[in-house]
Amino acid sequence: MKGDAMNSDAMNSDARLEGLAKRLGHRAADRLDVDAAARKVVERLRERPAPRLVWVQQTWLRIAAAVVMVVGGAVIASRVTPGRRPGVSPEHVAHFVADDLSDLSADELQDVLASFDEIISSDSAAVPEGSTDLHELDAQQLRVVLRFLEG
Amino acid sequence: MAQPHMVPAAPDAALILAWQAGDEQAAAELVGRHARPLARFLAGAGAPDADVDDLVQETFIRAFRSVDRFRGQCQFRTWLLTIGSNVLKDFGRRAARRKVMPLDEAVRDVTGDPHEHAEASETEELLAAGLQKLPRLQREVFLLRAQQGLEYEEIAAALATTPGAARVHYHHAVRRLKEIVK
Repeated sequence: MKGDAMNSDAMNSDARLEGLAKRLGHRAADRLDVDAAARKVVERLRERPAPRLVWVQQTWLRIAAAVVMVVGGAVIASRVTPGRRPGVSPEHVAHFVADDLSDLSADELQDVLASFDEIISSDSAAVPEGSTDLHELDAQQLRVVLRFLEG
Repeated sequence: MAQPHMVPAAPDAALILAWQAGDEQAAAELVGRHARPLARFLAGAGAPDADVDDLVQETFIRAFRSVDRFRGQCQFRTWLLTIGSNVLKDFGRRAARRKVMPLDEAVRDVTGDPHEHAEASETEELLAAGLQKLPRLQREVFLLRAQQGLEYEEIAAALATTPGAARVHYHHAVRRLKEIVK
């Protein structure tokens, strides 16, 4: 009996709280002019179009700023890093040499190779007998040899 | 004599589609349907009476502008109420920055007819003040359940939580509010 009474009290208490909650804010709701609110909402929607374009512009600005920071940082880092010439990578050096070689004639290339021979002989690097004579190579083959020597 | 033909009201989803197609009347119709429950929710959640009108309008403006993101995960009204809650939170932040007065004090300092204030029951005032002391999620769940009469599944979908968690939040809120209003 006592338990039933407590349950009943709890239920009454819950119901009372819900009843109070349902009344909450009714004065503000009653005072609201719904038609006027609807009119104003429609007018404001008409006057101030969705700020999507502004959002897109801001997003692009942020992306552009991020790109500038990354590229700028990379440039600064490449200049600060020791042992590297700014803006010139080893790949670029090899590329330029190869380009220069393509402009040389067969005779000029043979002169270059002759100078290589001198360097090699001065370093006492013996050329074994029967080895292929570089003078017998054509221009294309000489270019291949030079590229190989460049590594 | 022929009976007048009753035209069934268009569901919210149809009005939303119409609004997206540029029909302003559809937007006005949605405001007419949901403005009062939204006003009750905002006032219950702590909006000063004098600002409820503006907050209702702002909520609808935001809702209509972001209606593309409404996927029908819950009823339109429930979704609207959660937007209203965010609008109210922003309003509270702005008020705090202006240092006019804290939101809970603003709630008690209700402007309007003094006679109406006298009529408001003391218990109701206690409940309104007690709601301000609850964590935001508990307050929202309590209002959506007790004031708006929503099911836990609907509340959970709107607040991106589970029905079980919504039920727990509600019971915590009820326990604390009972202590305040008893």
